[in-house]
Amino acid sequence: MVDRGAEGQDTQTALGLASAALALARRFAAGAVMWCVAPQWPSHGRHVAVEFVHPVIVGKRALPAVHLEGNDLAGSLRLLSRPGDVLLAVSSGADRCVVDLLRRSEAWGLTRLWLGAGVPPAVDLAEHVVWHRASEAAYSGDLVLLYHLLWELTHVVFEHPGLLDLRPPAPEGVCLTCSDEGRVAEIRAVRGDGTADVVMGGVGETLDISLVAVAPGDLVLAHAGVALTTLEGPET
Amino acid sequence: MTGDPTDFLYPFIEAGEEDASLLVADLVASAGAKIADSRALRVATLERCRDDVESAGRAMAQRLRSGGRVLCFGNGGSATDAEAMVALFQDPPGGRPVAALSLVADTTVLTALANDIGFDVVFSRQIMAYGHPEDIVVGFSTSGDSINVLRALEEGARRDLLTVGLCGYDGGAMAGSEAVRHCLVVRSDSVHRIQEAQAALVRELWSTVQRCMDEGINE
Repeated sequence: MVDRGAEGQDTQTALGLASAALALARRFAAGAVMWCVAPQWPSHGRHVAVEFVHPVIVGKRALPAVHLEGNDLAGSLRLLSRPGDVLLAVSSGADRCVVDLLRRSEAWGLTRLWLGAGVPPAVDLAEHVVWHRASEAAYSGDLVLLYHLLWELTHVVFEHPGLLDLRPPAPEGVCLTCSDEGRVAEIRAVRGDGTADVVMGGVGETLDISLVAVAPGDLVLAHAGVALTTLEGPET
Repeated sequence: MTGDPTDFLYPFIEAGEEDASLLVADLVASAGAKIADSRALRVATLERCRDDVESAGRAMAQRLRSGGRVLCFGNGGSATDAEAMVALFQDPPGGRPVAALSLVADTTVLTALANDIGFDVVFSRQIMAYGHPEDIVVGFSTSGDSINVLRALEEGARRDLLTVGLCGYDGGAMAGSEAVRHCLVVRSDSVHRIQEAQAALVRELWSTVQRCMDEGINE
């Protein structure tokens, strides 16, 4: 059985892939590495990485994409990634490990692409989300199609060098508590004076943590130099 | 791109280009067309291969019921397609789990064989080591010409394993090989579209195996 696609879904998919490919090509042009994770379907994570590293079309440039797997993806990615890199997650909407990684990646200063199948995610945790709603998509070829197209479109963008330097504005989150702008920060070290060293948007900063109880590795939502609330980890 | 005789077809390809909206419109159109192509190829492939999938699935179910396992392999993207097949058979979203093993998963074995003998034997040597007559070997090669995949299918046939091959284009050497009992060909010359249609074929094969094992109609 081949999913015929819901009315309008293909257009949404095409639009999502086009904007993701433009952003991805710009990040690659700026020197980014694309880190690929797919904890539920590691074969999809490996497949998307090999597409970029060893293109099937002779003459297309090799682009730096690396698939990561293991029991501590956050630990690996924290060490390996650099601000400005890209995280590509392939998963269902309910994958808690991926949700946690996407949240942390905001603090680490990564651009996030999320390709998935089945019930779409309830929360918007990536700059680019492209979804196939059929739960069978992971097995029917539809999910493979999404990342094949991401690769194909990214290489089309490379044929337009004048458009590779233009950077989109950095996205801003919204504080859950005050509905004002807030940003995700990852706690690096807690000091004794009610402050903590954190990383936020890939940059080291100091936050007032008097309103929250936190430990290194926790995620908080910060606004105006103050950690306002903690964000759930993968185990909760 | 300067001086290319096809430049006139792409007036917007220039280094001084600053407005991305034309490019984005072009990307959207291209993606839309390829989504339609992919779907049409999958529908046509499943239709054309329906009888072959049915007989392959039935034969696989018979082997599995007598204790066989599914051994899958391929190179590069086809290696990941082989792994996806193992995952689907072993840990399905519904239905019964089936014994399946990826011959691309163990980098120790792969690098040992490749280094000491050659890459042509990385799958066939594993079949010599692990293969039982009840087992099923499933080889993926979009060209149909990957030597190590062909050698493994030949080794499987020599040992009376059931051999299944998935390939593209015109089927290459795989389609002409007497060692391949069930050969499923995706008639396309795009590696990407072939792999997408192979995923659909594998899903259909899985569903046929599940049905035959449940119904016991595989005699």
